[in-house]
Amino acid sequence: MMFSFTAISSVLFAVLIPAMALGEVDRPYINDKQVPEDRHDLEVIQKHLTEALAGSRRATVCIDLGEGSGSGVVVSADGLILTAAHVTGGVGRELTVIFEDGKKVKAESLGLVADSDCAMARITEGGEWPHVELDREDSFRLGDWVYSLGHSGGFDAARGVVVRLGRVVRLASDSLQSDCSLIGGDSGGPLFDLRGRLIGIHSRVGERIQENMHVPLREFLEHWDEMSQGEFIGEGPFAKRPEKGKGFLGVGTVARDEGGLEVERIGRESPAEKAGLKAGDVLLKMDGVDLTTKEQFQELLKEKAPDDRVRFDFLRSGRSETLTLRLGER
Amino acid sequence: MMLVVLWACLTAGVGWAQTLESSRRTNGLAVHACFEPAREVLQRSSAVILQGSKKIAYGTVFSADGLIATKASEIDGAEGLRVTVGSKTYDSPELLGVDLAWDVALLRVPASGLEPVNLVESDVDLPRGTWVVANGATTRIRRRVQVGIVSASAREIPAAGGVVLGVTLDEKRDRWVVTKVHEGSGAELAGLRAGDRIVAVGEAKMKDREALDERLAKLRVGDELKLVVERAGERLDLQVRVSGRADLFGEEKTRNDEMSGRFSERRSGFPRIIQHDILANAAGMGGPLLGIDGRCHGMNIARANRSETFAIPAGELRAVIDRLKPAAGP
Repeated sequence: MMFSFTAISSVLFAVLIPAMALGEVDRPYINDKQVPEDRHDLEVIQKHLTEALAGSRRATVCIDLGEGSGSGVVVSADGLILTAAHVTGGVGRELTVIFEDGKKVKAESLGLVADSDCAMARITEGGEWPHVELDREDSFRLGDWVYSLGHSGGFDAARGVVVRLGRVVRLASDSLQSDCSLIGGDSGGPLFDLRGRLIGIHSRVGERIQENMHVPLREFLEHWDEMSQGEFIGEGPFAKRPEKGKGFLGVGTVARDEGGLEVERIGRESPAEKAGLKAGDVLLKMDGVDLTTKEQFQELLKEKAPDDRVRFDFLRSGRSETLTLRLGER
Repeated sequence: MMLVVLWACLTAGVGWAQTLESSRRTNGLAVHACFEPAREVLQRSSAVILQGSKKIAYGTVFSADGLIATKASEIDGAEGLRVTVGSKTYDSPELLGVDLAWDVALLRVPASGLEPVNLVESDVDLPRGTWVVANGATTRIRRRVQVGIVSASAREIPAAGGVVLGVTLDEKRDRWVVTKVHEGSGAELAGLRAGDRIVAVGEAKMKDREALDERLAKLRVGDELKLVVERAGERLDLQVRVSGRADLFGEEKTRNDEMSGRFSERRSGFPRIIQHDILANAAGMGGPLLGIDGRCHGMNIARANRSETFAIPAGELRAVIDRLKPAAGP
């Protein structure tokens, strides 16, 4: 018994020392004090915060969903955004992203993890975007000073991004809580350490105002590749997996004797209309399958879920064309 | 320390958790100890406004001889007011004046030798991320602190729902007859009565209701508007102070509002505010907003929602107090 204890201890030491050397070179000393002890300590917290803040603010965005809004943070120059799954709500959704200076750009939601509230989105317009650094080593600890940013209650040009200060008050295997207060609209926004490195994403408010839940960055890192490829991961409370049969296209068709289906009507604001289908187009194939009757077309669509991509080969004024669109929800 | 934590999570497997004791949290007692210089300023230069033995607001001491400012709407109509400064309590303060735009009341208590707050001279706004200190819970003789940071850019908070006269009008052709004067409105204060016919607003005859709405849209809470009314064949000029729609009629609570606490009834319609993340309830307004050095940067004027508190900035506060305080004797 004694022997095994010693063995584990030495393994721990061996693991611990390089980890400390890596992540903690620039760890502010204030985090290792139980509490700040004097005015100088308070000024150190303030200095770290105000120095890191400008960069964090530039990269923190409002995610406008049409109805309501959330927040998010840009983490790469080409516009990858981390946010919460309950903000994007699904894969492949069109979003508008607003930076603090008022710049509005188009974005699309990528993958998400429904049971831990992680989600990604990507700015679809070209450009070099202001972004923040990640705390890849997961180096924060209980009691560390942190700050949260968010576009609380939606974008407000005169107010700008809202910042709140707090400490890490609870850590568990799968969760991170701080005493930074949060409010609607902050969801999906970033939580930073005093060096301005991203450590988590706001998920939900706690029962008490000063205990709020963030998704730790490691949850994102674990599913990074799947999420960036647009996968819907997990079954959870934060996003509902699209259901087969609920996919919505929004066209009325009639079969032609010579094959294919002629579009008679297009639903207003339907995915078909948004993708540019027009009355008179003749749909020849869906995802490579020849279309013959309305019934067969409906059977094919029944296999599809909202947010699924569907490719059509069609004729317009006698010319062959193709088009890929994303189904909506019925 | 770290070793123990790792050891604990290895042995316990999944489901480990660590919690920061409450005294070390951002607003924990051990952290508060570091703000003693500012607490001493609150002890001397903030006031507790009582109704009987119930605390209904805080106040800010502006002169050695007993000028104390507080949040007007919290003491409006309250009988039996008492004011505590330090450990001394004064009965029946005199109400010297009210500024409706800023929701500030100036009181006088028969005191001498009080220590007024040291209001900063600078007109430069405190940057985001700067520590601020305000009144926390209080005992009969001891003031306590609550701490936080400046959260957002200083700005105007327009009146929710715009401004109103506080009357219901019956519009018949070009005749506007007052059918109801709302309680507590500027119209009631100005002496408007049901049956009065409004002949002109400002210097002009209003073409229609739209013209009146346009005229009102240019005003802020507390601004005066001249009404020319006809009563029993006589013409009267009345100066009506406009009120915030939400202040007069209440407003629907949003989901965010319902998530926590008691917010200030009057929480919009301020010409300019500082926003910070110290959360006190409605009865916690009226006290000074201090920096860590104890200098006064403003006066807390509204708990706006779950995570935002507004304070009047120092420069504007000085001007309000100068307007309200009695002219110096000859």
